[in-house]
Amino acid sequence: MSNAALVWIVIYCIAAMLFFGAAVVIGFVGAKDLKDLLSRSDRTR
Amino acid sequence: MHFQTLDWIILVVYLVVTVYVGIRARRYVENLEGYFVAGRRVKVALGSATLIATEIGIVTFMYLGELGYVTGFACFVLGIIGFIGYAVIGKTGFIVSGLRALNVITIPEFYELRFSRGVRVLGGILLFLGGVLNMGVFLKMDGLFLTSMMGFDPSVLALVMTLMLVIVIAYTVLGGMFSVVITDFIQFVVLSIGMLVATLAVLSHVGFGEIAAAVQTHLGSAGVDPVANPRFGWTFLVWMLIGSVALSALNQPAASKSFASENPEVGRKVFLYTGITLAGRYMIPMFWGVAALAVFGPGVETTLAMPRLLSMVVPSGFLGLMVAGMLAASMSTYSAYMLAWSSVGTRDIVSPLRKIALTERQTITMTRVITTTIGVFILVFGLWYELPSTVFQYTAITGAMYAAGAFGCVVAGLYWRKANTAGAYAALALGGTAPVVFLVLSLSTPELPESLRFLLDVNISGFLSFLLAALGMVIGSLLTQRTHPPIVITPRTGSDHE
Repeated sequence: MSNAALVWIVIYCIAAMLFFGAAVVIGFVGAKDLKDLLSRSDRTR
Repeated sequence: MHFQTLDWIILVVYLVVTVYVGIRARRYVENLEGYFVAGRRVKVALGSATLIATEIGIVTFMYLGELGYVTGFACFVLGIIGFIGYAVIGKTGFIVSGLRALNVITIPEFYELRFSRGVRVLGGILLFLGGVLNMGVFLKMDGLFLTSMMGFDPSVLALVMTLMLVIVIAYTVLGGMFSVVITDFIQFVVLSIGMLVATLAVLSHVGFGEIAAAVQTHLGSAGVDPVANPRFGWTFLVWMLIGSVALSALNQPAASKSFASENPEVGRKVFLYTGITLAGRYMIPMFWGVAALAVFGPGVETTLAMPRLLSMVVPSGFLGLMVAGMLAASMSTYSAYMLAWSSVGTRDIVSPLRKIALTERQTITMTRVITTTIGVFILVFGLWYELPSTVFQYTAITGAMYAAGAFGCVVAGLYWRKANTAGAYAALALGGTAPVVFLVLSLSTPELPESLRFLLDVNISGFLSFLLAALGMVIGSLLTQRTHPPIVITPRTGSDHE
Protein backbone atom coordinates (compact mmCIF):
# COMPACT_ATOMS: atom_id res chain seq x y z
CA MET A 1 0.00 0.00 0.00
CA SER A 2 1.44 3.39 -0.96
CA ASN A 3 1.82 6.18 1.61
CA ALA A 4 -0.74 8.31 -0.22
CA ALA A 5 -3.31 5.51 -0.15
CA LEU A 6 -2.63 4.95 3.55
CA VAL A 7 -3.13 8.66 4.26
CA TRP A 8 -6.47 8.69 2.41
CA ILE A 9 -7.63 5.57 4.24
CA VAL A 10 -6.79 7.14 7.59
CA ILE A 11 -8.62 10.33 6.59
CA TYR A 12 -11.57 8.25 5.48
CA CYS A 13 -11.70 6.38 8.80
CA ILE A 14 -11.62 9.64 10.76
CA ALA A 15 -14.34 11.15 8.54
CA ALA A 16 -16.53 8.06 8.85
CA MET A 17 -16.17 7.93 12.63
CA LEU A 18 -16.98 11.65 12.87
CA PHE A 19 -20.09 11.10 10.79
CA PHE A 20 -21.41 8.11 12.72
CA GLY A 21 -20.42 9.60 16.07
CA ALA A 22 -22.15 12.88 15.24
CA ALA A 23 -25.15 10.93 13.95
CA VAL A 24 -25.54 9.23 17.33
CA VAL A 25 -25.32 12.53 19.24
CA ILE A 26 -27.59 14.36 16.81
CA GLY A 27 -30.03 11.46 16.94
CA PHE A 28 -30.45 11.55 20.72
CA VAL A 29 -30.35 15.33 21.20
CA GLY A 30 -32.43 15.86 18.07
CA ALA A 31 -35.18 13.63 19.44
CA LYS A 32 -35.33 15.86 22.50
CA ASP A 33 -35.41 18.98 20.28
CA LEU A 34 -38.22 17.46 18.21
CA LYS A 35 -40.29 16.70 21.28
CA ASP A 36 -39.76 20.26 22.49
CA LEU A 37 -40.69 21.73 19.09
CA LEU A 38 -43.90 19.74 18.85
CA SER A 39 -44.99 20.50 22.41
CA ARG A 40 -44.48 24.23 21.82
CA SER A 41 -46.23 24.17 18.45
CA ASP A 42 -49.24 21.93 19.02
CA ARG A 43 -52.18 24.17 18.20
CA THR A 44 -54.75 21.58 19.29
CA ARG A 45 -53.77 22.03 22.96
CA MET B 1 -34.93 -10.41 -7.64
CA HIS B 2 -32.61 -9.42 -4.75
CA PHE B 3 -35.36 -8.31 -2.41
CA GLN B 4 -36.77 -10.96 -0.07
CA THR B 5 -39.97 -10.95 2.01
CA LEU B 6 -38.26 -9.56 5.11
CA ASP B 7 -36.83 -6.69 3.08
CA TRP B 8 -40.28 -5.84 1.78
CA ILE B 9 -41.77 -5.86 5.28
CA ILE B 10 -39.13 -3.44 6.52
CA LEU B 11 -39.61 -1.15 3.54
CA VAL B 12 -43.41 -1.08 3.77
CA VAL B 13 -43.36 -0.41 7.53
CA TYR B 14 -40.99 2.49 6.99
CA LEU B 15 -43.14 4.04 4.24
CA VAL B 16 -46.35 3.65 6.25
CA VAL B 17 -44.80 5.31 9.32
CA THR B 18 -43.52 8.17 7.17
CA VAL B 19 -46.92 8.80 5.60
CA TYR B 20 -48.71 8.72 8.93
CA VAL B 21 -46.28 11.01 10.70
CA GLY B 22 -45.92 13.40 7.80
CA ILE B 23 -49.64 13.93 7.34
CA ARG B 24 -50.35 14.20 11.07
CA ALA B 25 -47.91 17.10 11.21
CA ARG B 26 -50.58 19.27 9.64
CA ARG B 27 -51.91 20.00 13.12
CA TYR B 28 -48.82 22.07 13.89
CA VAL B 29 -49.20 24.48 10.98
CA GLU B 30 -50.89 27.57 12.37
CA ASN B 31 -49.65 30.32 10.08
CA LEU B 32 -47.26 31.28 7.30
CA GLU B 33 -44.17 31.06 9.47
CA GLY B 34 -45.30 27.68 10.67
CA TYR B 35 -45.76 26.41 7.13
CA PHE B 36 -42.50 27.68 5.66
CA VAL B 37 -40.04 27.68 8.57
CA ALA B 38 -41.71 25.61 11.32
CA GLY B 39 -42.33 28.75 13.37
CA ARG B 40 -38.59 29.39 13.63
CA ARG B 41 -38.37 27.08 16.66
CA VAL B 42 -35.91 24.50 15.39
CA LYS B 43 -32.86 23.97 17.64
CA VAL B 44 -29.32 22.97 16.70
CA ALA B 45 -29.43 19.17 16.78
CA LEU B 46 -32.79 18.89 15.06
CA GLY B 47 -31.74 21.51 12.50
CA SER B 48 -28.56 19.58 11.83
CA ALA B 49 -30.44 16.30 11.38
CA THR B 50 -32.87 17.81 8.89
CA LEU B 51 -30.10 19.58 6.99
CA ILE B 52 -28.06 16.39 6.68
CA ALA B 53 -31.12 14.40 5.56
CA THR B 54 -31.98 17.09 3.00
CA GLU B 55 -28.52 17.16 1.53
CA ILE B 56 -28.15 13.42 1.07
CA GLY B 57 -30.23 11.79 -1.63
CA ILE B 58 -29.84 8.68 -3.73
CA VAL B 59 -28.46 10.87 -6.50
CA THR B 60 -25.74 11.95 -4.05
CA PHE B 61 -24.82 8.33 -3.38
CA MET B 62 -24.89 7.54 -7.08
CA TYR B 63 -22.72 10.47 -8.11
CA LEU B 64 -20.24 10.05 -5.27
CA GLY B 65 -20.10 6.28 -5.70
CA GLU B 66 -19.41 6.78 -9.40
CA LEU B 67 -16.62 9.25 -8.59
CA GLY B 68 -15.04 6.74 -6.21
CA TYR B 69 -15.22 4.03 -8.85
CA VAL B 70 -13.54 6.09 -11.59
CA THR B 71 -11.09 8.24 -9.58
CA GLY B 72 -10.19 6.07 -6.57
CA PHE B 73 -9.07 7.92 -3.46
CA ALA B 74 -8.40 11.16 -5.37
CA CYS B 75 -12.06 12.22 -5.10
CA PHE B 76 -11.85 12.17 -1.28
CA VAL B 77 -10.42 15.69 -1.58
CA LEU B 78 -13.98 16.87 -2.33
CA GLY B 79 -15.00 15.79 1.16
CA ILE B 80 -12.26 17.96 2.60
CA ILE B 81 -13.21 20.91 0.37
CA GLY B 82 -16.85 20.58 1.36
CA PHE B 83 -15.88 20.45 5.02
CA ILE B 84 -13.83 23.65 4.61
CA GLY B 85 -16.80 25.40 3.01
CA TYR B 86 -19.12 24.48 5.86
CA ALA B 87 -16.47 25.24 8.47
CA VAL B 88 -16.01 28.77 7.08
CA ILE B 89 -19.75 29.37 7.23
CA GLY B 90 -20.21 27.62 10.56
CA LYS B 91 -17.43 29.49 12.35
CA THR B 92 -18.05 32.93 10.90
CA GLY B 93 -21.77 32.89 10.15
CA PHE B 94 -20.85 34.12 6.67
CA ILE B 95 -24.10 34.86 4.84
CA VAL B 96 -26.36 32.59 6.93
CA SER B 97 -26.31 34.67 10.12
CA GLY B 98 -26.86 37.86 8.17
CA LEU B 99 -29.87 36.44 6.36
CA ARG B 100 -31.34 34.82 9.48
CA ALA B 101 -31.07 38.15 11.37
CA LEU B 102 -33.29 39.74 8.72
CA ASN B 103 -36.02 37.12 9.26
CA VAL B 104 -36.28 36.32 5.56
CA ILE B 105 -37.90 33.12 4.41
CA THR B 106 -36.34 33.00 0.93
CA ILE B 107 -33.15 34.41 -0.52
CA PRO B 108 -34.94 36.56 -3.14
CA GLU B 109 -36.85 38.14 -0.24
CA PHE B 110 -33.48 39.57 0.79
CA TYR B 111 -33.11 41.02 -2.69
CA GLU B 112 -36.24 43.15 -2.22
CA LEU B 113 -35.10 44.38 1.18
CA ARG B 114 -31.68 45.35 -0.09
CA PHE B 115 -32.26 46.18 -3.76
CA SER B 116 -35.73 46.29 -5.35
CA ARG B 117 -38.83 44.27 -6.09
CA GLY B 118 -37.68 43.77 -9.69
CA VAL B 119 -34.45 42.17 -8.51
CA ARG B 120 -36.49 39.89 -6.28
CA VAL B 121 -38.64 38.73 -9.20
CA LEU B 122 -35.66 38.16 -11.54
CA GLY B 123 -33.73 36.40 -8.79
CA GLY B 124 -36.79 34.33 -7.96
CA ILE B 125 -37.25 33.24 -11.57
CA LEU B 126 -33.61 32.19 -11.93
CA LEU B 127 -33.66 30.42 -8.58
CA PHE B 128 -36.91 28.62 -9.36
CA LEU B 129 -35.90 27.53 -12.88
CA GLY B 130 -32.39 26.48 -11.89
CA GLY B 131 -33.63 24.66 -8.82
CA VAL B 132 -36.47 22.76 -10.48
CA LEU B 133 -34.36 21.80 -13.50
CA ASN B 134 -31.57 20.76 -11.16
CA MET B 135 -33.77 18.23 -9.43
CA GLY B 136 -35.17 16.96 -12.72
CA VAL B 137 -32.58 14.17 -12.93
CA PHE B 138 -32.94 13.00 -9.34
CA LEU B 139 -35.76 10.57 -10.00
CA LYS B 140 -33.91 8.98 -12.93
CA MET B 141 -30.85 8.38 -10.80
CA ASP B 142 -33.02 7.04 -7.99
CA GLY B 143 -34.55 4.63 -10.46
CA LEU B 144 -31.17 3.34 -11.65
CA PHE B 145 -30.05 2.76 -8.08
CA LEU B 146 -33.19 0.95 -6.98
CA THR B 147 -33.24 -1.21 -10.11
CA SER B 148 -29.78 -2.45 -9.24
CA MET B 149 -30.51 -2.88 -5.55
CA MET B 150 -33.92 -4.47 -5.76
CA GLY B 151 -33.61 -6.28 -9.08
CA PHE B 152 -36.81 -4.75 -10.39
CA ASP B 153 -38.11 -4.65 -13.91
CA PRO B 154 -38.21 -0.98 -15.08
CA SER B 155 -42.03 -1.01 -15.39
CA VAL B 156 -42.41 -1.98 -11.73
CA LEU B 157 -39.85 0.61 -10.82
CA ALA B 158 -41.94 3.38 -12.39
CA LEU B 159 -44.78 2.38 -10.06
CA VAL B 160 -42.52 2.40 -7.01
CA MET B 161 -41.10 5.82 -7.86
CA THR B 162 -44.56 7.24 -8.50
CA LEU B 163 -45.77 5.93 -5.15
CA MET B 164 -42.78 7.42 -3.36
CA LEU B 165 -43.30 10.80 -4.99
CA VAL B 166 -47.02 10.80 -4.21
CA ILE B 167 -46.23 10.13 -0.53
CA VAL B 168 -43.72 12.96 -0.42
CA ILE B 169 -46.03 15.40 -2.20
CA ALA B 170 -48.86 14.50 0.18
CA TYR B 171 -47.07 15.24 3.42
CA THR B 172 -45.14 18.23 2.07
CA VAL B 173 -48.29 19.88 0.73
CA LEU B 174 -50.28 19.29 3.89
CA GLY B 175 -47.76 19.91 6.65
CA GLY B 176 -45.17 22.19 5.06
CA MET B 177 -41.94 22.60 7.00
CA PHE B 178 -43.31 20.82 10.09
CA SER B 179 -43.87 17.67 8.03
CA VAL B 180 -40.48 18.12 6.41
CA VAL B 181 -38.68 18.53 9.76
CA ILE B 182 -40.37 15.56 11.43
CA THR B 183 -40.00 13.20 8.49
CA ASP B 184 -36.45 14.46 7.87
CA PHE B 185 -35.52 13.47 11.41
CA ILE B 186 -36.95 9.96 10.99
CA GLN B 187 -35.23 9.72 7.64
CA PHE B 188 -31.95 10.89 9.15
CA VAL B 189 -32.05 8.07 11.71
CA VAL B 190 -32.96 5.42 9.11
CA LEU B 191 -30.44 6.80 6.63
CA SER B 192 -27.58 6.76 9.17
CA ILE B 193 -28.34 3.15 10.11
CA GLY B 194 -28.51 2.24 6.41
CA MET B 195 -25.12 3.83 5.74
CA LEU B 196 -23.56 2.01 8.69
CA VAL B 197 -24.98 -1.32 7.53
CA ALA B 198 -23.67 -0.78 3.99
CA THR B 199 -20.21 0.27 5.17
CA LEU B 200 -19.80 -2.73 7.47
CA ALA B 201 -21.07 -5.06 4.76
CA VAL B 202 -18.59 -3.68 2.23
CA LEU B 203 -15.65 -3.92 4.67
CA SER B 204 -16.54 -7.49 5.57
CA HIS B 205 -16.33 -8.38 1.90
CA VAL B 206 -13.21 -6.50 0.77
CA GLY B 207 -10.36 -5.13 2.91
CA PHE B 208 -8.42 -1.88 2.78
CA GLY B 209 -5.31 -3.58 1.39
CA GLU B 210 -7.20 -5.11 -1.50
CA ILE B 211 -8.86 -1.77 -2.26
CA ALA B 212 -5.57 0.14 -2.20
CA ALA B 213 -3.98 -2.45 -4.51
CA ALA B 214 -6.86 -2.12 -6.99
CA VAL B 215 -6.50 1.68 -7.06
CA GLN B 216 -2.77 1.34 -7.69
CA THR B 217 -3.28 -1.25 -10.43
CA HIS B 218 -6.11 0.43 -12.33
CA LEU B 219 -5.50 4.14 -11.71
CA GLY B 220 -1.90 4.61 -10.62
CA SER B 221 -1.01 8.05 -9.24
CA ALA B 222 -4.28 9.51 -10.61
CA GLY B 223 -6.05 7.36 -8.03
CA VAL B 224 -4.44 9.14 -5.08
CA ASP B 225 -3.46 12.58 -6.39
CA PRO B 226 -6.39 14.90 -7.28
CA VAL B 227 -4.10 17.36 -9.07
CA ALA B 228 -2.71 14.60 -11.29
CA ASN B 229 -6.14 13.13 -11.98
CA PRO B 230 -7.36 14.26 -15.46
CA ARG B 231 -10.95 14.71 -14.19
CA PHE B 232 -9.85 17.16 -11.51
CA GLY B 233 -6.75 19.35 -11.57
CA TRP B 234 -6.25 22.79 -10.01
CA THR B 235 -9.06 24.52 -11.99
CA PHE B 236 -11.59 22.05 -10.71
CA LEU B 237 -10.37 22.25 -7.12
CA VAL B 238 -10.51 26.06 -7.02
CA TRP B 239 -13.97 26.10 -8.61
CA MET B 240 -15.17 23.51 -6.12
CA LEU B 241 -13.82 25.55 -3.19
CA ILE B 242 -15.68 28.68 -4.32
CA GLY B 243 -18.75 26.64 -5.19
CA SER B 244 -18.62 24.88 -1.84
CA VAL B 245 -18.95 28.11 0.13
CA ALA B 246 -21.48 29.63 -2.27
CA LEU B 247 -23.74 26.62 -2.66
CA SER B 248 -23.55 25.66 1.00
CA ALA B 249 -24.83 29.04 2.14
CA LEU B 250 -27.16 29.83 -0.72
CA ASN B 251 -28.76 26.51 -1.54
CA GLN B 252 -32.34 27.48 -0.73
CA PRO B 253 -33.43 24.07 0.60
CA ALA B 254 -30.47 24.07 3.00
CA ALA B 255 -30.78 27.78 3.78
CA SER B 256 -34.43 27.19 4.70
CA LYS B 257 -33.26 25.02 7.58
CA SER B 258 -31.09 27.88 8.79
CA PHE B 259 -34.03 30.30 8.47
CA ALA B 260 -36.12 27.86 10.53
CA SER B 261 -33.62 28.09 13.38
CA GLU B 262 -34.44 29.77 16.69
CA ASN B 263 -31.98 32.59 16.08
CA PRO B 264 -28.91 33.52 13.95
CA GLU B 265 -26.52 31.87 16.39
CA VAL B 266 -28.38 28.57 16.14
CA GLY B 267 -28.50 28.95 12.36
CA ARG B 268 -24.72 29.30 12.29
CA LYS B 269 -24.20 26.32 14.59
CA VAL B 270 -26.42 24.13 12.41
CA PHE B 271 -23.92 24.66 9.62
CA LEU B 272 -20.95 24.06 11.92
CA TYR B 273 -22.20 20.76 13.30
CA THR B 274 -23.49 19.67 9.90
CA GLY B 275 -20.08 20.48 8.45
CA ILE B 276 -18.41 18.08 10.87
CA THR B 277 -20.29 15.27 9.19
CA LEU B 278 -19.79 16.48 5.63
CA ALA B 279 -16.44 14.84 4.91
CA GLY B 280 -17.93 11.52 6.06
CA ARG B 281 -21.09 12.05 4.03
CA TYR B 282 -18.99 12.42 0.90
CA MET B 283 -16.30 9.84 1.59
CA ILE B 284 -18.52 6.98 2.77
CA PRO B 285 -20.35 6.47 -0.56
CA MET B 286 -17.14 7.31 -2.44
CA PHE B 287 -15.47 4.50 -0.51
CA TRP B 288 -18.20 2.08 -1.59
CA GLY B 289 -17.39 3.08 -5.17
CA VAL B 290 -13.65 2.50 -4.67
CA ALA B 291 -14.49 -0.90 -3.15
CA ALA B 292 -16.56 -1.67 -6.27
CA LEU B 293 -13.41 -1.04 -8.35
CA ALA B 294 -11.59 -3.64 -6.24
CA VAL B 295 -14.38 -6.19 -6.60
CA PHE B 296 -15.40 -5.75 -10.26
CA GLY B 297 -12.41 -4.05 -11.89
CA PRO B 298 -12.89 -1.07 -14.23
CA GLY B 299 -15.19 -2.70 -16.81
CA VAL B 300 -18.60 -2.09 -15.21
CA GLU B 301 -20.89 0.78 -16.19
CA THR B 302 -19.67 3.51 -13.88
CA THR B 303 -23.04 4.63 -12.55
CA LEU B 304 -24.08 1.14 -11.55
CA ALA B 305 -20.88 -0.25 -10.06
CA MET B 306 -21.51 0.94 -6.52
CA PRO B 307 -25.19 -0.12 -6.26
CA ARG B 308 -24.29 -3.47 -7.78
CA LEU B 309 -21.70 -4.01 -5.05
CA LEU B 310 -24.16 -3.12 -2.31
CA SER B 311 -26.82 -5.46 -3.66
CA MET B 312 -24.18 -8.22 -3.63
CA VAL B 313 -22.72 -7.75 -0.14
CA VAL B 314 -25.62 -6.54 2.02
CA PRO B 315 -27.56 -9.55 3.42
CA SER B 316 -31.35 -9.85 3.25
CA GLY B 317 -33.15 -8.04 6.05
CA PHE B 318 -30.36 -5.49 6.16
CA LEU B 319 -30.92 -4.88 2.46
CA GLY B 320 -34.48 -3.75 3.18
CA LEU B 321 -33.18 -1.47 5.94
CA MET B 322 -30.55 -0.05 3.65
CA VAL B 323 -32.99 0.57 0.81
CA ALA B 324 -35.38 2.18 3.31
CA GLY B 325 -32.45 4.38 4.32
CA MET B 326 -31.74 5.30 0.72
CA LEU B 327 -35.40 6.00 0.03
CA ALA B 328 -35.43 8.06 3.20
CA ALA B 329 -32.51 10.05 1.84
CA SER B 330 -34.36 10.76 -1.37
CA MET B 331 -37.69 11.55 0.21
CA SER B 332 -36.15 14.10 2.57
CA THR B 333 -34.40 15.72 -0.37
CA TYR B 334 -37.53 15.84 -2.49
CA SER B 335 -39.69 17.27 0.30
CA ALA B 336 -37.22 20.00 1.22
CA TYR B 337 -36.50 20.91 -2.39
CA MET B 338 -40.15 20.99 -3.42
CA LEU B 339 -41.05 23.18 -0.45
CA ALA B 340 -38.10 25.46 -1.12
CA TRP B 341 -38.82 25.99 -4.81
CA SER B 342 -42.56 26.33 -4.33
CA SER B 343 -42.05 28.93 -1.62
CA VAL B 344 -39.80 30.85 -4.01
CA GLY B 345 -42.40 30.53 -6.78
CA THR B 346 -45.20 31.82 -4.53
CA ARG B 347 -43.43 34.47 -2.48
CA ASP B 348 -40.84 35.73 -4.95
CA ILE B 349 -42.53 35.46 -8.36
CA VAL B 350 -46.32 35.34 -8.07
CA SER B 351 -46.85 37.48 -5.00
CA PRO B 352 -44.61 40.45 -5.94
CA LEU B 353 -46.24 40.66 -9.38
CA ARG B 354 -49.76 40.97 -7.98
CA LYS B 355 -51.30 44.34 -7.30
CA ILE B 356 -53.09 43.03 -4.22
CA ALA B 357 -50.99 41.03 -1.78
CA LEU B 358 -51.86 37.38 -1.22
CA THR B 359 -53.41 36.56 2.13
CA GLU B 360 -51.70 33.99 4.33
CA ARG B 361 -54.21 31.36 3.35
CA GLN B 362 -53.84 32.14 -0.36
CA THR B 363 -50.04 31.98 -0.03
CA ILE B 364 -50.17 28.54 1.56
CA THR B 365 -52.70 27.31 -1.02
CA MET B 366 -50.63 28.63 -3.93
CA THR B 367 -47.53 26.98 -2.47
CA ARG B 368 -49.34 23.68 -2.24
CA VAL B 369 -50.43 23.93 -5.87
CA ILE B 370 -46.90 24.71 -7.05
CA THR B 371 -45.47 21.89 -4.92
CA THR B 372 -47.82 19.42 -6.58
CA THR B 373 -46.99 20.81 -10.03
CA ILE B 374 -43.26 20.46 -9.38
CA GLY B 375 -43.84 16.90 -8.23
CA VAL B 376 -45.69 16.02 -11.43
CA PHE B 377 -42.98 17.69 -13.51
CA ILE B 378 -40.25 15.70 -11.75
CA LEU B 379 -42.15 12.47 -12.32
CA VAL B 380 -42.67 13.08 -16.03
CA PHE B 381 -39.20 14.57 -16.56
CA GLY B 382 -37.49 11.94 -14.45
CA LEU B 383 -39.08 8.86 -15.92
CA TRP B 384 -38.90 9.88 -19.55
CA TYR B 385 -35.98 12.31 -19.87
CA GLU B 386 -32.79 10.84 -21.34
CA LEU B 387 -29.86 11.75 -19.12
CA PRO B 388 -27.04 13.78 -20.71
CA SER B 389 -23.62 12.14 -21.04
CA THR B 390 -22.58 13.37 -17.60
CA VAL B 391 -24.94 14.02 -14.74
CA PHE B 392 -22.28 16.19 -13.19
CA GLN B 393 -22.37 18.60 -16.16
CA TYR B 394 -26.13 18.92 -16.01
CA THR B 395 -26.30 19.48 -12.24
CA ALA B 396 -23.30 21.82 -12.24
CA ILE B 397 -24.77 24.03 -14.94
CA THR B 398 -28.28 24.20 -13.51
CA GLY B 399 -26.78 24.83 -10.08
CA ALA B 400 -24.58 27.63 -11.39
CA MET B 401 -27.63 29.28 -13.00
CA TYR B 402 -28.78 30.46 -9.63
CA ALA B 403 -25.72 30.17 -7.39
CA ALA B 404 -23.37 32.50 -9.25
CA GLY B 405 -25.70 35.50 -9.39
CA ALA B 406 -27.05 34.80 -5.91
CA PHE B 407 -23.56 34.70 -4.44
CA GLY B 408 -22.71 38.07 -5.97
CA CYS B 409 -25.98 39.66 -4.80
CA VAL B 410 -26.07 38.26 -1.29
CA VAL B 411 -22.40 38.70 -0.40
CA ALA B 412 -22.28 42.23 -1.79
CA GLY B 413 -25.69 43.03 -0.34
CA LEU B 414 -24.67 41.95 3.15
CA TYR B 415 -21.06 43.13 3.27
CA TRP B 416 -20.59 46.00 0.76
CA ARG B 417 -22.44 49.26 1.35
CA LYS B 418 -22.10 50.39 -2.26
CA ALA B 419 -23.98 47.40 -3.72
CA ASN B 420 -27.10 48.69 -5.46
CA THR B 421 -30.00 47.64 -7.69
CA ALA B 422 -28.15 48.11 -10.99
CA GLY B 423 -25.27 45.96 -9.75
CA ALA B 424 -27.73 43.29 -8.59
CA TYR B 425 -29.41 43.09 -12.00
CA ALA B 426 -26.02 42.79 -13.68
CA ALA B 427 -24.87 40.08 -11.27
CA LEU B 428 -28.00 37.99 -11.77
CA ALA B 429 -28.05 38.41 -15.54
CA LEU B 430 -24.37 37.60 -16.08
CA GLY B 431 -24.31 34.81 -13.49
CA GLY B 432 -27.32 33.15 -15.11
CA THR B 433 -26.18 33.71 -18.69
CA ALA B 434 -22.73 32.13 -18.51
CA PRO B 435 -23.99 28.57 -17.82
CA VAL B 436 -26.58 28.87 -20.56
CA VAL B 437 -23.92 30.00 -23.03
CA PHE B 438 -21.87 26.97 -22.10
CA LEU B 439 -24.81 24.67 -22.74
CA VAL B 440 -25.52 26.25 -26.13
CA LEU B 441 -21.89 26.21 -27.24
CA SER B 442 -21.51 22.57 -26.26
CA LEU B 443 -24.16 21.69 -28.85
CA SER B 444 -21.96 23.00 -31.66
CA THR B 445 -18.56 21.76 -30.59
CA PRO B 446 -17.15 20.93 -34.09
CA GLU B 447 -17.93 24.40 -35.44
CA LEU B 448 -16.41 26.22 -32.50
CA PRO B 449 -13.11 28.06 -33.19
CA GLU B 450 -10.09 26.67 -31.37
CA SER B 451 -9.66 29.93 -29.46
CA LEU B 452 -13.10 29.51 -27.84
CA ARG B 453 -12.84 25.80 -27.01
CA PHE B 454 -11.83 26.62 -23.45
CA LEU B 455 -15.43 27.69 -22.85
CA LEU B 456 -16.46 24.05 -23.21
CA ASP B 457 -14.57 23.14 -20.06
CA VAL B 458 -17.32 22.90 -17.44
CA ASN B 459 -14.86 23.88 -14.70
CA ILE B 460 -13.88 27.08 -16.51
CA SER B 461 -17.49 27.84 -17.33
CA GLY B 462 -18.54 27.43 -13.71
CA PHE B 463 -15.66 29.58 -12.52
CA LEU B 464 -16.49 32.21 -15.17
CA SER B 465 -20.13 32.41 -14.06
CA PHE B 466 -19.04 33.44 -10.56
CA LEU B 467 -16.43 35.84 -11.89
CA LEU B 468 -18.84 37.53 -14.31
CA ALA B 469 -21.51 37.84 -11.62
CA ALA B 470 -19.01 39.48 -9.26
CA LEU B 471 -17.79 41.86 -11.97
CA GLY B 472 -21.35 42.71 -12.87
CA MET B 473 -22.14 43.60 -9.27
CA VAL B 474 -19.01 45.70 -8.71
CA ILE B 475 -18.94 47.55 -12.03
CA GLY B 476 -22.70 47.95 -12.22
CA SER B 477 -22.87 49.38 -8.71
CA LEU B 478 -19.89 51.71 -9.03
CA LEU B 479 -21.14 53.19 -12.31
CA THR B 480 -24.62 53.95 -10.95
CA GLN B 481 -24.10 55.18 -7.41
CA ARG B 482 -25.82 58.50 -8.09
CA THR B 483 -28.74 57.24 -10.14
CA HIS B 484 -29.37 54.21 -7.90
CA PRO B 485 -28.29 55.08 -4.35
CA PRO B 486 -27.74 51.94 -2.22
CA ILE B 487 -30.34 50.94 0.33
CA VAL B 488 -29.07 50.31 3.84
CA ILE B 489 -30.90 47.75 5.95
CA THR B 490 -30.55 46.73 9.56
CA PRO B 491 -31.78 43.49 11.17
CA ARG B 492 -35.50 43.59 11.91
CA THR B 493 -35.72 47.38 11.54
CA GLY B 494 -36.69 47.68 7.88
CA SER B 495 -34.85 49.71 5.24
CA ASP B 496 -33.71 53.30 4.64
CA HIS B 497 -32.23 54.95 1.58
CA GLU B 498 -28.65 56.07 2.05
